[in-house]
Amino acid sequence: MSPITLILIAIGLGLAGWLAGRAKAWSFQKSDANVRLVARPTYHAWYVAVWVVLPVLAFIALWSFLAPQLVMQTVLASPGAEGLPSFGFQRDSILSEARAVATGSAQGVFNSDAEALIEPFREAISHYNLIGLVVTVMIAFAGGAFAFLRVKPDFRARTRVERTVMIVLLLASLVAILTTFGIFASLVFETVRFFGMVSPIDFLFGSFWGPDPMSNPEAADGTRYGAIPLFWGTIFIGAIIAMIVAIPLGLMSAIYLTQYANPKLRAWVKPALEILAGVPTVVYGYFAALTVAPAIRDMAVAVGISGASTESALAAGVVMGVMIIPFVSSMADDSIAAVPSAMRDGSLAMGATQSETIRRVLFPAALPGIVAGVMLAVSRAIGETMIVVMAASTAANLTVNPLERMTTVTVQIVKMLTGEGSFDHPATLSAFALGFVLFMVTLALNFIALRVVKRFREAYD
Amino acid sequence: MTVIHEKLVDTNAKMRARDVSVYYGDKKAIDEVSIDISPDYVTAFIGPSGCGKSTFLRCFNRMNDTIPVARVTGTIELEDEDIHGNAMDVVQLRARVGMVFQKPNPFPKSIYENIAYGPKIHGLAEKKPDVDEVVEKSLTRAGLWDEVKDRLDESGTALSGGQQQRLCIARAIAVDPEVILMDEPCSALDPIATAKIEELIDELSGRYAIVIVTHSMQQAARVSQRTAFFHLGKMVEYGPTSDIFTNPIEKRTQDYITGRYG
Repeated sequence: MSPITLILIAIGLGLAGWLAGRAKAWSFQKSDANVRLVARPTYHAWYVAVWVVLPVLAFIALWSFLAPQLVMQTVLASPGAEGLPSFGFQRDSILSEARAVATGSAQGVFNSDAEALIEPFREAISHYNLIGLVVTVMIAFAGGAFAFLRVKPDFRARTRVERTVMIVLLLASLVAILTTFGIFASLVFETVRFFGMVSPIDFLFGSFWGPDPMSNPEAADGTRYGAIPLFWGTIFIGAIIAMIVAIPLGLMSAIYLTQYANPKLRAWVKPALEILAGVPTVVYGYFAALTVAPAIRDMAVAVGISGASTESALAAGVVMGVMIIPFVSSMADDSIAAVPSAMRDGSLAMGATQSETIRRVLFPAALPGIVAGVMLAVSRAIGETMIVVMAASTAANLTVNPLERMTTVTVQIVKMLTGEGSFDHPATLSAFALGFVLFMVTLALNFIALRVVKRFREAYD
Repeated sequence: MTVIHEKLVDTNAKMRARDVSVYYGDKKAIDEVSIDISPDYVTAFIGPSGCGKSTFLRCFNRMNDTIPVARVTGTIELEDEDIHGNAMDVVQLRARVGMVFQKPNPFPKSIYENIAYGPKIHGLAEKKPDVDEVVEKSLTRAGLWDEVKDRLDESGTALSGGQQQRLCIARAIAVDPEVILMDEPCSALDPIATAKIEELIDELSGRYAIVIVTHSMQQAARVSQRTAFFHLGKMVEYGPTSDIFTNPIEKRTQDYITGRYG
């Protein structure tokens, strides 16, 4: 019997408990008009249902983990298992073949040794299925009976139910937080392994990046693991070129939309702008690689710059800048709109023009929110991979010429992990160290952005 | 029909409104109001909530322009010049007709910058010593100089509510307007701060033409020499404050003054 069946049974019993609980609570009110229930009958119903379902679910979770092991033990203790090879692959394959036939997911056995084990498997499985079913029903009834007996007019079912709901919500949010910690822990673990092979000094301050996955992992050459070209490429593409594009365009569109556009136009343009944020980055990648990059090269050639590549940091940065315009503009839009209209009226009533009002009153007041938006946009940009892979190449290059190839941290992470190196090779492990640095930087940027936004909220009143 | 007391007829007018109506979309908020604003006195607009007195006040410096659905008809003149005419720019108009709002709204800048804002945008004072002088003069006139002279670089929003409102009055004075419009300037303030503002209005009257909207009849009686009573978008009665309060001609005015409604 699969866990799904058990869960369905639990839900069915829960429904029965719900109805029974409600019926009992109703009966108090019906039998005596003077009785006032502390909680409405529905809450009593939920209270009983929760007591039926939650313990059963806990048992099912435990049982679905425990039952296969118990089955296996029983089978191994059977006479048919004596002839099995004691270890290894063959033994496992015989056992799994026998089980497949016993559960009906396979027709016959390939290995004749498995033949003798089919029957013990069948017996053990049905035996433990029965036990699982009986225990499930027993637990459901025990929980239901306990809760049902507590249903009384003065029983505070509502507070209990609400507390249960709160705990469920808490668990749900813990999942996200614990996942973050898990990611962080695995990053740290692998990063420490990497730094056991390559010195952090070489990694953080070296200026040549060229890990060789084929080299001897025991004698890693630290000079090939200098990540400075990657950090520089990331900053140059994500935080400099992209921002030169995104900040002015984002701010100007936000100012236009909040201050000048009539409501009808705004209702059109704002969603259209936000669609930009929903375009998959790989699509931006095509656009950068097939349209923007060749155009930039042609332009460079036209003005007489030789040696311009079809893969350039400029193309990747510009397209990335376009991609994050909505981040900047929607944060700026929100924070300009959040400046009280009294500020605007005050300035206009002084005889300031609209542009003076924007420049000298609204913009300074909204600045913290705008800064926060830019920070979030930067952290988004430096975590971006696809556009760079497609438009700026995967070759590490330490240069300030935006027309040359360049690569970023994220691109190298992908390259190292999808490469042919084994998992204990420093070239592969370097991906984790890069990821760790990236994680810390974006964490810091987000942290700063949140702090700035918090201070911004206290700015007026 | 509006009742205008005889004593007001030959007053020389700083601002003159003729048949002014204001529409919000299809709704008529102000219905054909005509009034002369005297340069020498404080004029109070009183009336129950929603009677349109604030809307009408905002016509005098064209602040209704900032509300997309609002539409103003009729003529308003400042010193015989049509404020909607080609000869007058809204920026110039607002430099000559200042405004103080219901809720104090200092800019989130320093006290000094709050005052210097107007003179700077209008090019009245460019050099630091000139600006310093305007700041000191305006704050002194608004009765705030002694309280803030040692902390001019602190944020204007850090002041108390009453001080903020006096800062806003000083800010309006700084561009040397001819008229100051005040839209319920004390409604967000406690009685002590209110008393200070009223004292200040008294001191400023004569130098500037002042129009104050208030929902407090006592305040109108204390600070103004001319009172207009508004009801349902119409001006019911306009006369010397003492007459309006002691000897109103219209029954609706009397009912409001005596607290029958409002």
